Amino acid sequence: MPEIKVTPLGAGQDVGRSCILVSIGGKNIMLDCGMHMGFNDDRRFPDFSYITQQGRLTEFLDCVIISHFHLDHCGALPYMSEMVGYDGPIYMTHPTKAICPILLEDFRKITVDKKGETNFFTSQMIKDCMKKVVPLNLHQTVQVDDELEIKAYYAGHVLGAAMVQIKVGSESVVYTGDYNMTPDRHLGAAWIDKCRPDILISESTYATTIRDSKRCRERDFLKKVHETVERGGKVLIPVFALGRAQELCILLETFWERMNMKAPIYFSTGLTEKANHYYKLFITWTNQKIRKTFVQRNMFEFKHIKAFDRSYADNPGPMVVFATPGMLHAGQSLQIFKKWAGNEKNMIIMPGYCVQGTIGHKILNGQKKLEMENRQTLEVKLQVEYMSFSAHADAKGIMQLIRMAEPRNMLLVHGEAKKMEFLKDKIEQEFTINCFMPANGETTTVITNPSVPVDISLNLLKREMALGGPLPDPKKPRTMHGTLIMKDNSLRLVSPEQALKELGLNEHQLRFTCRVQLQDPHSDPDTLSRIYTHLKSVLKGYTIQHLPDGTVMVESIVIKVSSSAEEPNTKVLLLSWSYQDEDLGSFLSTLLKKGLPSGLSSI
Amino acid sequence: MGETSSVENEFDDWFIESLKIYNHIHEYQLEHPTRAIEWTSEKTICVAGYNSDKNEILELLLPLKLFADDNQGLCAERDFKVVHGGFSDGSIHCLKHIPGTRCVVTNDGFNSNLQVWDLGGDDCDVIKRTGVLQLKSASSDNGVKIAPGLTGGPCVLHGSQISDIQLTELTSGKPLYSLGKDIPDLLSSLQFVSGSVFLACACNGDLYVGDTRKPSAPQNNPAGGREGAHWCMGVKTDLSSSDPSSCSVARLSSACQVVVSDLRDLRAPLCQAQLHVQRKTTSDDFMKVTWAPALDNCLAVSGFDGMVQIYDTASWRPELMEFQPFFIHRGHMMSDDQFDTSLAVVTTHVWHPSRPRTVLSAAVDGSVHVWDWVDKATASC
Repeated sequence: MPEIKVTPLGAGQDVGRSCILVSIGGKNIMLDCGMHMGFNDDRRFPDFSYITQQGRLTEFLDCVIISHFHLDHCGALPYMSEMVGYDGPIYMTHPTKAICPILLEDFRKITVDKKGETNFFTSQMIKDCMKKVVPLNLHQTVQVDDELEIKAYYAGHVLGAAMVQIKVGSESVVYTGDYNMTPDRHLGAAWIDKCRPDILISESTYATTIRDSKRCRERDFLKKVHETVERGGKVLIPVFALGRAQELCILLETFWERMNMKAPIYFSTGLTEKANHYYKLFITWTNQKIRKTFVQRNMFEFKHIKAFDRSYADNPGPMVVFATPGMLHAGQSLQIFKKWAGNEKNMIIMPGYCVQGTIGHKILNGQKKLEMENRQTLEVKLQVEYMSFSAHADAKGIMQLIRMAEPRNMLLVHGEAKKMEFLKDKIEQEFTINCFMPANGETTTVITNPSVPVDISLNLLKREMALGGPLPDPKKPRTMHGTLIMKDNSLRLVSPEQALKELGLNEHQLRFTCRVQLQDPHSDPDTLSRIYTHLKSVLKGYTIQHLPDGTVMVESIVIKVSSSAEEPNTKVLLLSWSYQDEDLGSFLSTLLKKGLPSGLSSI
Repeated sequence: MGETSSVENEFDDWFIESLKIYNHIHEYQLEHPTRAIEWTSEKTICVAGYNSDKNEILELLLPLKLFADDNQGLCAERDFKVVHGGFSDGSIHCLKHIPGTRCVVTNDGFNSNLQVWDLGGDDCDVIKRTGVLQLKSASSDNGVKIAPGLTGGPCVLHGSQISDIQLTELTSGKPLYSLGKDIPDLLSSLQFVSGSVFLACACNGDLYVGDTRKPSAPQNNPAGGREGAHWCMGVKTDLSSSDPSSCSVARLSSACQVVVSDLRDLRAPLCQAQLHVQRKTTSDDFMKVTWAPALDNCLAVSGFDGMVQIYDTASWRPELMEFQPFFIHRGHMMSDDQFDTSLAVVTTHVWHPSRPRTVLSAAVDGSVHVWDWVDKATASC
C-alpha cells in the first residue's frame, strides 16, 4: 500500500524541540533539528538513534529542511551535521541562512563560555554546517533529486520563516513549522495555495489556545513604557537585531506624538547597521507597509528614535533604549542594564525567550541578586516585565490553514492526545479528514491514495459505453476491463485485442476438461436429459441448451455423457470449458459431483 | 497621514485613552459568537455558540497573567486555554453551571427541554451530553429560563412562563416543586436568593417571590414604568446574611430604565434611573443588568448597543432622573477587522466573582473581552 510515515523525534510529552522524520515515496526527510532549551545534558538534542544506531546519517537521509531560525527548530543542526555526521543538503530560506549562524554562535558562546560545558559544537562546526546549506526562495520548486521536490511558502512568525511542501510523484506532505494567520506590524500572515497535500503536519502547542489580540499586547507595552517614563524612569529593551525591534519601534513611533511623550527613544548603533543590512537583503520577507517605508527611507530613520551613544546611559531623566543582545548575556544591553538595575523607577522589558545561563533568564525567574564576572553582586531593583510578542497560530488559525491547503489528513505533533480530543473531533467533523496525534517517538503511517493518470483508447471507451447501463457516477465507480500498457513514461489502457496486436502476440485459448463420475441407471441420452433438467432448475438466469448433437451447453460449457459397456450405470460426464468460464466450470463440476436428485423427470 | 480614515483615528483615540482608563484589557476572538459566559470555577468560564444548527461549547481557562498579582510582570501568559470542548446539535441561548458539580444545563431558546452536560475532568477534554430533561411547558417557542439550585443536591429551577416554574432534581429528573399558579406571563429572569427562596421576573416587569418549601400564591410586585416595555432583572445576594436588605434587585427595561428594590419591600423602588443609552438594536434579546459582587452599589448594563456601561446607584433617587455611567467599555465597537462596528452589540457580560472591577463581555462578532478599569477614588465603586 502506498504510505507516508511521520515520526516526531523526542520522548514522552516533552515539547520544546522540533525534529520530525518523514518517509515518503522511498525518500527520508528530516524537518527541523531543534534544541531543547530546558535540558543541560544530551536530552536537549533529538535522539537520532531512531534513524541509525551508530554512524553517520548521510545515507539515511535525502535532505534536511529547517523552517526558521529559532533555536528550538535549528539549535541542534551543527550537532547533527558535524558531531553525529551528515553531509547531504540542508535547505532553508535565505534569511534563515543568514541569521541562523549568528544565533547558533551566540548560543554556543553562552553555553560553553558562560556555563563551561563540553560536548557542544564549536564555532568551526557551525561554519562547516552552514556550508551544506542550499538556500530556498519562496514559491520556487527545488528538485532535491529526480523524484523529490520541495517548495517553500511564507509562514509569517519571524523573518524568513517558511512552511514547506515536500513532494514525491503524486504524494506530498506540507510541514508548517511555526506560523501565524494574522499579520503584525512588520510581517504578513502565512499563505499557502490549495495544494491538497496527503498530510499537513503542524505543531499543536498553541492549538488549544485562543490568543489575546495583538493590540492588547501592544497596549500593555505602551502603558508600561509610558508609566515608567512619566515617573522619570528609564526603560531598557534588549532585542536581537531584527524583527521584534522593528515591530516595537514602529509601535512607539506611531503613538509617541499622540501620547505626548517628551522622553527620547534610542537604539544602539550596532542594531542599526545589522538591521539595515539584513532588511536590504530580505525586503521581500516583510509586509507591504514596511516595504513602502523602506523604499522611501532608511529602516531606522524614525522621527522620534535616534541613535544611541554610550554616554547617554548616564544622562538624567527618562528615556527608552533598544539595545542588543536580546538575552543580556554580553555587550551593550548588559552594560546599560548594570547601570540602571539599581533604581526601582527604571524598567526592563524582555520581549522574548532567554536561554538558561543568561542574565535575562535569571531576572525573568525573579532573581533579585546577580553575581557578575568581577565577583560583584548586582541588586536588581528595577521593574522586570516579560512580554510575549511572538506570533503563533491558535485553534482558529489551524482551522484557517486547513481550509486553505485542503489536506487529506492532518497530523499534530507535540501535544498530549487526551488533552486534544476535542480539537481532533472538530477537525475530523468539519473537514471529514483523519487527524493524527502521535506521541514523541511514535510513528504514524498514513495510507495514501495516489491517483495514477492513464490514457484510455477510444475503442475501449466506446466499447464500455456500448455496454449500456447508467453513465458512470464519480461517487459510484464502475469496474471496467482492459489491458494496461506501461511503456517509457506513458500508461495506456487498451482492449486486449489491441494490446496483443501492438505487442505482436497471438491470442491463445485455454480449455479445461474435467471428468465426473455419476451413478445413474438410465440410458445415456436420458441421463443427459436429467442433467439438463437439473441444471435448468439450479442455474436460473444462465443460457442452458440441450442440443441435438447429444450435448448440454451451459453458456459456452459443453457437457457430454458416456458410459462403458461393462458398467452401463456408471456414467462419465465430460465437461469442457474455456478459461473465460473458469468460475462457472468449476461450479458445475462441483455441483455434478454431488449427483442428481432423485425426483427428476427425464423429459 | 492623509491615508488614515476617521475610523482609524477613532480607534487610535480609544487606544490611547485605554492606557489611562483600564488597568488590564484582554481581547479574544472566538470562531463563533456566544451569548453565554458562565463561571464554572474561579478561573474557568464556559461559552457556547447560538447558530441555528451545530455549535461548540467551550470551557476556557483565564490567562495566568490575570491571577499573577505580585509577579504579574514576570508572567507573559495572556491567552485563553481551551480546556474542554464539545458539540451541540442546536443553538445555546442559556447556559448555567450547577454549583459543586462539573455539570452545566443548557436551553436552545426555542424548545422546552434542557440539555445536561458533563464538562469532563483531567483525563479527557471532551464535553459530553449526559441527558435531556423533557419539560412540559405551556409555551414552547420561547425557550426556558434556568436557575441552578444553590444548596442541597444538584437541582435546577426552570420555566418559560410564571405558571410553569418548576424545580427538578437533576439526576433523577424528578420534579421537587411547582409554582402551580395560572399566571401566563412570559418569564424573563429567574434566580435563587437563598437555598429555597427565588425571584422570578416576568417580561412585563412583574416580580414574584417564591419559596420552594411552600407552594403558596406568590405576590406580584410590578415594576411600573412604560407600558409595553420588556424587562429583565439582576440580583445581588449575600448568602451569609438573612437580612432582606442584603438582597438587591435591579430591573432593567427596554426603555432603558432601571428600578432598584430590595427584599424588604419589592413594591416600593429604593431608587431608579433613566439610563444614558441610545439604543442601536431593536431586539431585547441581549438586555442584561448585573450587580458587581465585590463592589457596593455598582451596576453593569449591556445589550442595547456595543457598549457595557457601569453605573453607581448610590447617587440615584426614588424619582426618575437621568444618570450617566461612570465608566463605559467601548472595546467591542473598536474592531480593526472588516467587521462593521455600527453592528456591534454586546450579547452578555459577567463580573469576576472576587476581583472588584473585573468584567468579561462578549459581542455578536465573536469577541470576548476581559477588562478592569482604573479606580478613580472619587466614585464609591
